[in-house]
Amino acid sequence: MVSRRALHSGLILALALSAIACGGGGGGQAVSPPPPPPPPANNVASVIIDQGPSNASVNTLFTSVTVCVPGSTTSCQTINHIQVDTGSYGLRILGPVLTLTLPVETLAGGNSLAECTQFVDGFSWGPVVSADVQIAGETASSLPVQVIGDSRFTNIPATCSGTGGTQEDTVASFGANGILGIGPFELDCADCDTVARLYYSCATTCSETTVPTNLQVANPVTRFATDKNGVIVVLPSVAAGGAANVSGSLIFGIDTQSNNQSGTQTVLTVDSNAELLITFNGQTLANSFIDSGSNGIYFNDSSISKCVAPANDPSSQIVNFYCPPNTLSLGLSIQGMNGVMANNLTFGVGNAQTMLNGNFDAFPQLAGTNPNTGSFDYGLAFFYGRRVAVAVENAKTSVGTGPYIAF
Amino acid sequence: MPLFQLNAFKRAALGALLLAALGPRIASATLGEPEVTVQTDVARAHASIKSSQDRASYRVHEIQLPSGTVMREFVAPNGNVFAVAWQGPTRPDLRQALGQYFDTYAFAPRSKLADRRHVQIQQGDLVVQAGGHMRALSGRAYLLSAIPSGVNVGDLH
Repeated sequence: MVSRRALHSGLILALALSAIACGGGGGGQAVSPPPPPPPPANNVASVIIDQGPSNASVNTLFTSVTVCVPGSTTSCQTINHIQVDTGSYGLRILGPVLTLTLPVETLAGGNSLAECTQFVDGFSWGPVVSADVQIAGETASSLPVQVIGDSRFTNIPATCSGTGGTQEDTVASFGANGILGIGPFELDCADCDTVARLYYSCATTCSETTVPTNLQVANPVTRFATDKNGVIVVLPSVAAGGAANVSGSLIFGIDTQSNNQSGTQTVLTVDSNAELLITFNGQTLANSFIDSGSNGIYFNDSSISKCVAPANDPSSQIVNFYCPPNTLSLGLSIQGMNGVMANNLTFGVGNAQTMLNGNFDAFPQLAGTNPNTGSFDYGLAFFYGRRVAVAVENAKTSVGTGPYIAF
Repeated sequence: MPLFQLNAFKRAALGALLLAALGPRIASATLGEPEVTVQTDVARAHASIKSSQDRASYRVHEIQLPSGTVMREFVAPNGNVFAVAWQGPTRPDLRQALGQYFDTYAFAPRSKLADRRHVQIQQGDLVVQAGGHMRALSGRAYLLSAIPSGVNVGDLH
């Protein structure tokens, strides 16, 4: 039997021999062991659900992000209340909260790059800048980031405002100080390198342009040095009637550290639009999605009572939400594009008006109608009481290849 | 003259005639307007009509936009556009497609429960419903009073 001491001596001898072999007669250099691997990055960011900077948010998940002038460790700013959104791609910061001057990306030929981001209910205009982005211990260097409502870019092109909806370029209209798009894709536009849309080339005026992928606004996670194959959102269960200031974790990477192992999660791959199939009430809805950026559970069921607009606010959009007299427990199943099923899931539908009369901001049973009759949009409520992984396109984990959602 | 150039010439001539016939209408657009404004939409957007189908109580023109988005314009038996719908990575030029109704849509009061994923607006005669998320947006706008009888609004997509 070989003693530990003998093994130890042997190891030292081997190291010494290899040092001699590699030293090339360098003349008496000290033998040093190889440097230890760097400690793993802190890959956990704190997240919170509160009323946000507009004091009006519900079911909206926020975190803090630090942005720095590229290459600088001192010209930095930490911004709180950045919305965590698994349904979009890229970091966008509201100009009015940004005190740093970040350099605007320039196209070949020297024109500035700007973007007209389209959300379903409106548009957000502003330049694409370069920033070193830090979240928890992770860094994405020289990341293209959009600044929304930048005072240097006030002339909104007609082709941008002509897409209509609300101009979301203030903290009040945006409901957040920024948005962190960490969905299962890398870029905010699948083919803007060949099709001129969303992005603009600006000199004295701005016109739509194609843009190389390396200048497009990108999911910061995919540009981290480590833990870049996806995220895991961990939130506690929330009482049926709601809660205030729920906090949880946003973990970066999947199967890259001891705290982000997949285990036995159910893996549902998503299509090129990040959508999957949800079957509800016997109907399979092909444009369905699970999304931390949706503040309710949006689906259509004509048998559930809708809310009534209050007398003092007759045009209230509350009429598009459900107000059953008693809380309902409903079932659904979800099918990934890989054919994997998550069957027999249940969710609750409560009275939206009753919820909103209180002072809570996290509501697991807030539900409303879906303007797209072929879609079930399962919003942040899906994440309550779950550990939900979002793997980015082409990411390899121990349980599958992205793009997928697993829980 | 090669055939394709002739065709291009004929198309251009036809387009010029059409635009001339439209006169001041060009500034206005499609929703609530006569069917010929569908051609205006197509010309302005450098788009192409993929198909035109007659259904039981309306005609629908499907327009492929260069952006990748597909737009459909629904024409009632009286010849007026009563609905437009879209699906794709971006919205179409809704200032053009909604015409006189665009401002009603663009400046409608924002829901306190807005979340960047849903729009359900009803302002007077105009209804706008939209859903989806980044890279996949869909929606429709229609005029309540102009829907031909027998049309199921759910089919307008």
